[in-house]
Amino acid sequence: MTNKSDFALEMIDISKSFGNTVALSNVDLQVKKGTIHGLIGQNGAGKSTLMKILSGLYPSGTYTGQIIVDGKVAELNSALDAQSIGISIVPQETTVADTLTVAENIMLPEMSRNPLKVYKKSGVVKRASEFLSSYNIPLQPDKLASSLTLAEKQILMIARAIYLQPQVLVLDEPTSSLTGDEIKNLFEVTRTLKSLGITTVFITHKMDEIIELCDSISILRDGKIVCQIDRSGFDVDELVSHMIGRDLGDLYPPQHRVGQDAPVVLKVTDLVVENPRKPGQPLLEPFSFELRQGEILGLGGLVGSGRTEIVKALFGHYKILDGKLEVQGNPIQTRSVSESISHGFGYITEDRKAEGLFFNLAIKQNFTASIIEKLTRASFLQKGEEKSRARVYLETLQVKPQDLDASVSSLSGGNQQKVVLGKSLITDPSILMLDEPTKGVDIASKAEIYKTIVEFAKAGYSVLLISSEFPELLALSHRVIVFSGGRNVGEIASGLENEKELMLMAIGATKS
Amino acid sequence: MAIAKTRELSESFKASSIRVAFLILVIGVFAMQNPAFINGASILSVIQGMVFVGIAAVFLTILITSGEFDISVGANAALAGTLAAQYVVAGEGVADDRSPWTGLLVGVLVGTIIGLINAFIVLVGNVPSFIATIAMLFIAKSLATYIPGGKPISGYRDSWEAEGIVFRESFFLKNFSIIVLIVIIIVGHILLKRTNFGVVVSSIGSNKEAARTSGTQVKRVKTILFALTGAGAGLAGAVSVFHFGSIYFSLGQGWELTAIAAIVLGGTSLFGGRGSVIGLLFGLALMQTIASGMVAVGIDPWWQTVITGAIVLATLVVDQLRRKVT
Repeated sequence: MTNKSDFALEMIDISKSFGNTVALSNVDLQVKKGTIHGLIGQNGAGKSTLMKILSGLYPSGTYTGQIIVDGKVAELNSALDAQSIGISIVPQETTVADTLTVAENIMLPEMSRNPLKVYKKSGVVKRASEFLSSYNIPLQPDKLASSLTLAEKQILMIARAIYLQPQVLVLDEPTSSLTGDEIKNLFEVTRTLKSLGITTVFITHKMDEIIELCDSISILRDGKIVCQIDRSGFDVDELVSHMIGRDLGDLYPPQHRVGQDAPVVLKVTDLVVENPRKPGQPLLEPFSFELRQGEILGLGGLVGSGRTEIVKALFGHYKILDGKLEVQGNPIQTRSVSESISHGFGYITEDRKAEGLFFNLAIKQNFTASIIEKLTRASFLQKGEEKSRARVYLETLQVKPQDLDASVSSLSGGNQQKVVLGKSLITDPSILMLDEPTKGVDIASKAEIYKTIVEFAKAGYSVLLISSEFPELLALSHRVIVFSGGRNVGEIASGLENEKELMLMAIGATKS
Repeated sequence: MAIAKTRELSESFKASSIRVAFLILVIGVFAMQNPAFINGASILSVIQGMVFVGIAAVFLTILITSGEFDISVGANAALAGTLAAQYVVAGEGVADDRSPWTGLLVGVLVGTIIGLINAFIVLVGNVPSFIATIAMLFIAKSLATYIPGGKPISGYRDSWEAEGIVFRESFFLKNFSIIVLIVIIIVGHILLKRTNFGVVVSSIGSNKEAARTSGTQVKRVKTILFALTGAGAGLAGAVSVFHFGSIYFSLGQGWELTAIAAIVLGGTSLFGGRGSVIGLLFGLALMQTIASGMVAVGIDPWWQTVITGAIVLATLVVDQLRRKVT
């Protein structure tokens, strides 16, 4: 094919499903040569699935549709395939060889191709430093990678990708671990690349970055491309409505009223949580809130805004530096998980794979794991008691299969999440803290989980809910406290109609 | 650039000078107790004592740098040495014997095959290398005992004696094992520090994903390293028969611990990503000096293993702490 295409990258009519779940349906993505193209969408919209297809991680054949790079149809079966036709992807996670220097990390692909060549440190450093300065990348080539900051490592990964001289560079949420100045720096590098004719696909969910950097964008929602907009048509309000724009009202159970006279169960005053990555430093500015009996209080914000750390601190995982906690009017402390449980806290992790379940055990053992002492008599486990206690949750949560002896590893994501929920409910907590309770869960299980949460609150217990899915957060919570840029930026009333306002507050686009 | 070069030099000088100072200190302590400790004969005995385990440990160092392990080097050496001896001492009389040189090839071949089997189990079967090579240790050790019926095999150099070649009078033959050690250390050092391959190996040990995204075929590289480690162990076994003229199945017993201790003492990280063959040489010298020194000053031999174990523990702790710092 001799006539070159106007597009550096085209993905045409891409569809992919996992079992019955449709992840992408008929997605068309076209990226013009030499532009910076934004790919935006909420969590779970299908961005990462699309990129895994582009990187060859999901090999051709596991999806339908076509990938065309610079006018040529491409078949991608591995990361190496993608690299060899000029697609370089910088993943979100940091993958840097710490014991090597910056220069060695950058030149690794070349060295890997010529293993028997003589290695001369000074030569490698010299070539890397020429490369880095030609792209204005602020890294010292002879530094050990282990001495770099997280942000510098991110830049290093981008440098490594650029060194392969890609036609298309894909940056997957590159700013999530960077500070303001570092982001500016990254933008400079991206613009330099553009001036050199390299096409960039920039994945993000931060509106301000798109407006500052991108020439055009595609918006992905629920596995479909909703629209493709050029820079001239950027408008924050409109973009946000495109990102959200859905109607899932029926999914949520009706809310019950919580009166102003309902007793305050948890009172938090000027709480300062320690930053787990910087010991002794506060994570957020001091903040206060009250949680009433029967109330579902939402904690809103973007991923990384500190919400998880707050509930983990209340559950005794992280240190509280300052502030007052009162449960039912009594001052308390949460220095350990067991202390926290004794005050009636229950916590459901966002990471059920690592922290939530015993995958090699049966459903019943998972349900009863946290109350095992209550099920023993003279140190012997009362099997009948174990079964009857577990059966209650098996039935109310409608776990499928309805088999107490089924292994948890054989369950779907949604049913696993139900087991996580039951495992916490069985301890009879009065304040339940849920962190992304429907992450990676199918829509039917979502409905079951929503029902359980609302029933729980109706019965007079209280819930702290974290969710990155704003509709879910707004539909279930009585009110939502919003965190952005390291502080509490305000409160939003319940209701799906407030989604736009919540999004604007979370991305720091309005001041409350 | 000049600054970088100077810093690099000064860092490596600092690291090695600490080691050399420590080694001199240890030698000094023993020499104060027993001045006879520093004479030509005892220095040679120190060197001779570390030669065989040293030959087996060079490629093991590079394998560990890639983040894998091989516990079976000692047993591998025993089996390879045994088969080499059986091959050379084949028939009834001296006339049937093959040249002692051919035994070295047999040893390398057997060792390489064992290394490749290790690679297959670890990389295809997805078994952690620590466990897989422990199993290989038992298998190779049992075979090395069973094949000669639990008896030593001797007469490896009888054909030379029949021809009138006197091993002890040839400087080259007498010191052949030391020459092999020197050559293999130079080869290993060049491979690890002076070729792209060495950088790739370190990158695999440091962050497998980073290596993979850079287009490295991680399993292929590791297969080569397991094979080289096996070959080195086999060579060590064969060189030992070559040197002593006989082999007993207990050859290689405990090499794995001595080798690992020497490797870590030499600055190689047990978690992969950073390795040094020159450092290994220092580690071996230190281990052997302590072992010989304790004999020279008359410490009960039973204490030697306690002290070896303590050194291994201390180096592991230091390695772990250093890992946390970086």
